[in-house]
Amino acid sequence: MLHRAGVVLAADHPLRIMSHPLDSIFCPRSVAVIGASNAPEKYGYIILKNLLEAGFAGSVYPVNPKATEILGRPCTRSIADLPPGVDLAVIIIPARAVPQAVADCGQRGIKAAIIISGGFAESGEAGAALQREVVEAARRSGVRVVGPNCQGVNNPHHGLCASWPLLTEQGEIAVISQSGTVGAALMDWASQERLGCSAFVSLGNRCDVDETDLIDYLAQDANTRAIAAYLEGVKDLARFREVVSRCGKPIVILKSGRTVEGRRAAESHTRSLAGRDELYTALFRQLRIHRVDSLEDLYDAAKALAYLPKPGGRRILTITSSGGSGILATDWAEWSGLQVAALPGPVAETLRGLLPTHCIVANPLDLTGDGTAALYRKVVEATAPHFDYQVIIFGDPILQAADVVTPGAPQLVIFLGGAEVERQERARMHQKKVPVFPTPERGVRALARLFAFNGVAA
Amino acid sequence: MTTPPAGDRTRWLPEPEALHLLADYNLPVIAHRLAATPEEAAQAARNLGCPVVLKVVSPEIPHKSDVGGVRLNVATPEEAAAAFTTILDRLTPHPSRLTIQGILVAKMAAPGTEVIVGMVRDPQFGPAVMVGLGGIFVELYKDVAFRLPPLSPGEARAMLGELKAAPLLTGYRGQPPRDLDALAACACAVARIAAEHPGIQEIDLNPIIAHEQGCMIVDAKILVHE
Repeated sequence: MLHRAGVVLAADHPLRIMSHPLDSIFCPRSVAVIGASNAPEKYGYIILKNLLEAGFAGSVYPVNPKATEILGRPCTRSIADLPPGVDLAVIIIPARAVPQAVADCGQRGIKAAIIISGGFAESGEAGAALQREVVEAARRSGVRVVGPNCQGVNNPHHGLCASWPLLTEQGEIAVISQSGTVGAALMDWASQERLGCSAFVSLGNRCDVDETDLIDYLAQDANTRAIAAYLEGVKDLARFREVVSRCGKPIVILKSGRTVEGRRAAESHTRSLAGRDELYTALFRQLRIHRVDSLEDLYDAAKALAYLPKPGGRRILTITSSGGSGILATDWAEWSGLQVAALPGPVAETLRGLLPTHCIVANPLDLTGDGTAALYRKVVEATAPHFDYQVIIFGDPILQAADVVTPGAPQLVIFLGGAEVERQERARMHQKKVPVFPTPERGVRALARLFAFNGVAA
Repeated sequence: MTTPPAGDRTRWLPEPEALHLLADYNLPVIAHRLAATPEEAAQAARNLGCPVVLKVVSPEIPHKSDVGGVRLNVATPEEAAAAFTTILDRLTPHPSRLTIQGILVAKMAAPGTEVIVGMVRDPQFGPAVMVGLGGIFVELYKDVAFRLPPLSPGEARAMLGELKAAPLLTGYRGQPPRDLDALAACACAVARIAAEHPGIQEIDLNPIIAHEQGCMIVDAKILVHE
């Protein structure tokens, strides 16, 4: 499969068949850092360093009129002096100088700019006026803008970390966030457990590029299999409806501000009940967007939707080494509308012949504390044909647990209580593209997402 | 009693007009007459068949029952004539400020399950259609579902299915199941009205009495922008 190969062609590569207006943001040939700095605490230094260390194949040009060299790279004095081939500029200079910088980028043939700097619409009327100037300059010169007031863009599949922190793990979940911190936290979790992301974009003030543009891009991005977004609101509802309804990939949204708006006193019941949040719920449901209420759910749902195969039905079998975890999984399965079906008699009979006598042959099937990878494998193989999904809980430090699971098989993997072995085996499974969940609750709830919208989710 | 705030150029359609608009969309509205005198109220009750309900018609009184503007279960034409006078007497503390267009005499609907269907036009989202269980369910539990039109009959059925109280409509504890298709048709018609009348800001069909076969709109409020 192409997306598994991790091959990314530059925007103008002759073999690249599809092109998208946002290619310059995600897959630039070369990048300039406007406002690069020698001061290690400044973003002009941090982002340049991350760009240099993330494995970007193109050139990275620091731009600063006062420095000759930053991080071992010769400095360019001005945007006009940049060599050809720069598709993307990362702008980290005082807000008042940004409109001119954007115009200069356009002049130099740079197609996109990520504006990290703050001091725009978020900071009052003067800032809002500056932001309008940025939009003007961008429109006139045909430059697409991410931000301002944002945490940048990271495309690990292109070695492009125009953001912070430095994260390079390649995966299949794209993260869009109206809060830089929230998005970065999500990407950090995915990197920590070696699952990785396909892209991260901090939207900032959304003066140009918004969530709809990004969904449109990610829908055709070969590396992305699910889109996770943190939003405080949708900027352009009509376009959002149109773009999302033709996006063939699952989208999960954590939309904040559910409770802050006071309800208006109103004369009709309908009016008094129609808060913005209810309308967002309606919109998301109609567009088959998975709506979640917490950051953990955002991550877990995206993980499940990106990596787990679609279920054929709701009958699950739990296989565990921990009785307590098996019961917790069963409770959550029942609450989530899954069916904890009995083991068929002949299968139970076969298993009793295969397993030590102290194992509990039921659903959940409890291998008890001395369950080994070999025992798990026997049970997984013998029961697979009889259930729609297997919930495999490793509730101990089970060596070689990663060898039990099969990428793309209808298996939900939960690993807990395994300490160092757990961390190692989880990383091994994530590199096989088998997602691992940390608790029965989080795993089963994530699995249940696959059944939303009558199981016909995109 | 509340009225639209001054400067906001909206007004509630008089109920006979609201019911007329709904009937134009083939919605089942309760049989009714507008009476200008006690005699006309008695005559209307005779023609419609008792029991009837009497409701004051005034654009300034959207919440009629809060001010004593409604009499339910009026059993005879004579009682209807008396109720007519009682309602007007109750409203006389502020007669000069009220435009009273008459008293609506409507047939009492057969008992069933109370449902609400509504629409609001949101400045950002455009029209949104709501369904919910009537009475205490909508007040207390806010047990409602919203959709943004266009609305297919299937989607409208799905909305009803989303309600926590949906079992009350599908035959709970020996209750007969209610006509979900008829309710879904009301929701779809409300979506159509919103699409075809951009000036309509809100619609509140509350309650609609759902029966085993069909349903009946017994109270309708429509807010229009002038």
